[in-house]
Amino acid sequence: MIANRVHSIYALENLSGKDTVIHELDTRVKLILAFAFVIVTVSFNRYDILGLIPLVFYPAILIPLAELPAKILMSRFLIALPFCAFAGITNAILDRTPALTLGNFVVTLGVISCITIILKTFLCVMAVFLLIATTPFARLTRELLRLHVPTVFVLLIEMIYRYLGVLSSEAMSMSVAYKLRSVSSKGIKMKHMGSFVGQLAIRSFDRGERVYAAMTCRGYNQDQGQKRGDRSAVLFSGKNLRVRIPVGQLIGLVIVIAIFILLRIFEPLSMLG
Amino acid sequence: MHMADALISPAIGASMYAVSAAAVAVSAAKIKKPDLSESKIPLMAVSGAMVFAAQMINFTIPATGSSGHIGGGILLAAMLGPYAGLLALAAVLIIQCLCFADGGLLALGCNIFNMGVIPCLLAYPLVFKTIAFRKNPVTASTVSEHSTGSAKQSKSAHFRITIASVIAVILALQIGAFGVVLETSASGIAELPLSSFIILMQPIHLAIGVVEGIVTAAILNFIYAARPEILTNAAFPHHSNAVIPGSDPGSSPSTQKKSMRPILIVLASATLITAIALSLLASANPDGLEWSIGKITGQTELDAEGRVFSLLSGIQERLSFMPDYDFKSGSGSGTSVAGIVGGALTFALAGAAGLCIHLFKRKRRTEA
Repeated sequence: MIANRVHSIYALENLSGKDTVIHELDTRVKLILAFAFVIVTVSFNRYDILGLIPLVFYPAILIPLAELPAKILMSRFLIALPFCAFAGITNAILDRTPALTLGNFVVTLGVISCITIILKTFLCVMAVFLLIATTPFARLTRELLRLHVPTVFVLLIEMIYRYLGVLSSEAMSMSVAYKLRSVSSKGIKMKHMGSFVGQLAIRSFDRGERVYAAMTCRGYNQDQGQKRGDRSAVLFSGKNLRVRIPVGQLIGLVIVIAIFILLRIFEPLSMLG
Repeated sequence: MHMADALISPAIGASMYAVSAAAVAVSAAKIKKPDLSESKIPLMAVSGAMVFAAQMINFTIPATGSSGHIGGGILLAAMLGPYAGLLALAAVLIIQCLCFADGGLLALGCNIFNMGVIPCLLAYPLVFKTIAFRKNPVTASTVSEHSTGSAKQSKSAHFRITIASVIAVILALQIGAFGVVLETSASGIAELPLSSFIILMQPIHLAIGVVEGIVTAAILNFIYAARPEILTNAAFPHHSNAVIPGSDPGSSPSTQKKSMRPILIVLASATLITAIALSLLASANPDGLEWSIGKITGQTELDAEGRVFSLLSGIQERLSFMPDYDFKSGSGSGTSVAGIVGGALTFALAGAAGLCIHLFKRKRRTEA
C-alpha cells in the first residue's frame, strides 16, 4: 500500500516528459485552461446534467492528444471519488422529488444531482491531471514565481515535492522494519505511533540540516539571487522569466474559452429535451 | 477533510482563495525577516514532506476497525512556528491537490484555510502556545534543566505539551470541520440540511481529533525529549539561543505584542469569511418573501411578465456563477427521454473522438 503510493507520487510527472502538441503548449495556457474548465464545470447547476455532458469532450480529446494512458488517470480518479460519492448518495437519499419516469423506474432529482456530482468530480480531476501530466513540476512552480507568489513559498513547494520520495521510502523502510518485528498485527499500534513518527521527524530534521549545509557549500544564496532581480536563479533554473505566449496558442486559448462559455450559456443538450 | 471541486461553487472557491492567499503572503513576509533565518527553509521542507509521509501511514483506530491518519497542522506549527507551519502545510496541500487529486483545484483555498490557517494561525497561538508555554516550565526546563535532569520539571512540561496538543488539535479540527460545513452549505450543492451536516461532521471530527491529538502529543513529547530546542525555537524565535534558566521569555513584552498580530489577522479574516458565507447562504436560500409567495401560489417565483423579461432572466440565470439553491421548478426537471438519449450520444461521440485521435496517433507512430 505504502510502496504503491511512493511510486505513484511521481507517476504523473513522469508522463510530462513526452513530446506532443499538448506538452508543448505554454504553461500559462495550460494553467488558464485548467482553471477555466474547472470553473465552468463547477458553475453548472446541481441538476443540470445535460449541460455538463458536452464538457466530456475536453478530456476525451485532450487525453489521447497528449498520449496519456487513460488507465492511470482513471485509477487516480477512483481515489478522489469516495467523498463526493458519499455526498452524492446522500443527495439521492434525501431528495426524492420525482423528476421523470422511465418505464417503471422513477428517477428522482436526488439521483440526478448524485450523477451530476460524480460527473463534476470526474471532469475536475481530469482537468488537474491533464495539467500535471503534461507539465513538468519545475515549470509549474516557475509560473507561480511569475505570478508573484513569494519566493520562499515556491521554493518550499519545490523542496517538499523533491523530499517526498526520499522521506516516503524512509517511512516505508521503518514501517517494514516495524512489521517484521510485530507479527500478526495490522498496521502500527497507537501507542507506538508517537515514537515512530517522532523518529521520522528527527531523522527529517537532521537530513534538512545536512542538505542546507550541502547547498551552502555549493554556493547557494537566496538573497544574492533576489538582489540581481533574477528570481529564477533561486530555483536553479536558467530560463528567462519573461517569455511571451505564442500568438497561435493565445488565439487557440481564446477560442476554447469561448466554446466553454457558449456551452455554459446555450447548453445544446437541454435544447433537445 | 479535503474538500473537492464538485461540492463547492465558484464564488466560495474564489473568496476562500483570496483569504488563503492573503494568509500565505503574510506568513511568507514574516519568514523573510532576518531573525527567522533562511536556513529554516530546508527544515520546513523536510517537515512538510514528513507530515505528507506520516499521512500515508494508516493506524488502526481502536474499537472501530477502521483506519485514520494524522492531519499535522498543529504538529507543523509546534515544530516550525505558526507562519512556517502554515507555509509548509499549504505547500503539502498544493502537492496533494496536483498529484493525488486530494482536494480540488478550485477548493484549494478552502482546504488551505480549513486545514492550515485554522490550526497554525488560530489554534496554535491561542491554545497550544498559551497552555504549553504559559509560565516557564517548558522554556526553563529546556537545554539547561534537561541536562541537569530535573525529572519533576520535565514531567510537568510533558504533561503541559500533552494537554496543549490534545486541546489544540481537537479545537482546530472542530473549527475546520465547521468551516467545511459552512463552505459546502453556502455552495448549495450538497442536499444535506445545515443542521444534520453539523451533527454528522462534528462528532466524527471529535473522534478523529482525540486520536490525532494523542498522536501529536506523543510525537511532540518524543521530539521534546530528544531535541527540546526545536519546540521552544518554534514558539519563541527571538530567544532562539539565549534561554536563561529561570527567565520568562514567554511573557516578555515583545513576544506578547508579537503574538497578538496573527490573532487579529485571523479574527479579521474569519469575520470576512463568515460575512461572505452567510450572505451567500442567505441569497441562496429562498428568503422570507419568496417563501411566502411559495406558500400562496404553490411556486417560489411569480410568473415572468412578458417575453423580454423571461429571456433576460433566463440568460441571467445561466450566467450566474452561484448555482441557484432552489432550481427544482426550473429547467433542470425538463430532463426527458430525448435528453437522456442526447446525453448518451454525446458520451459515445466524445469517446469515439478520443479513440479516433488515439488510433490516428498510433498509426502515425508506427509509420514513423
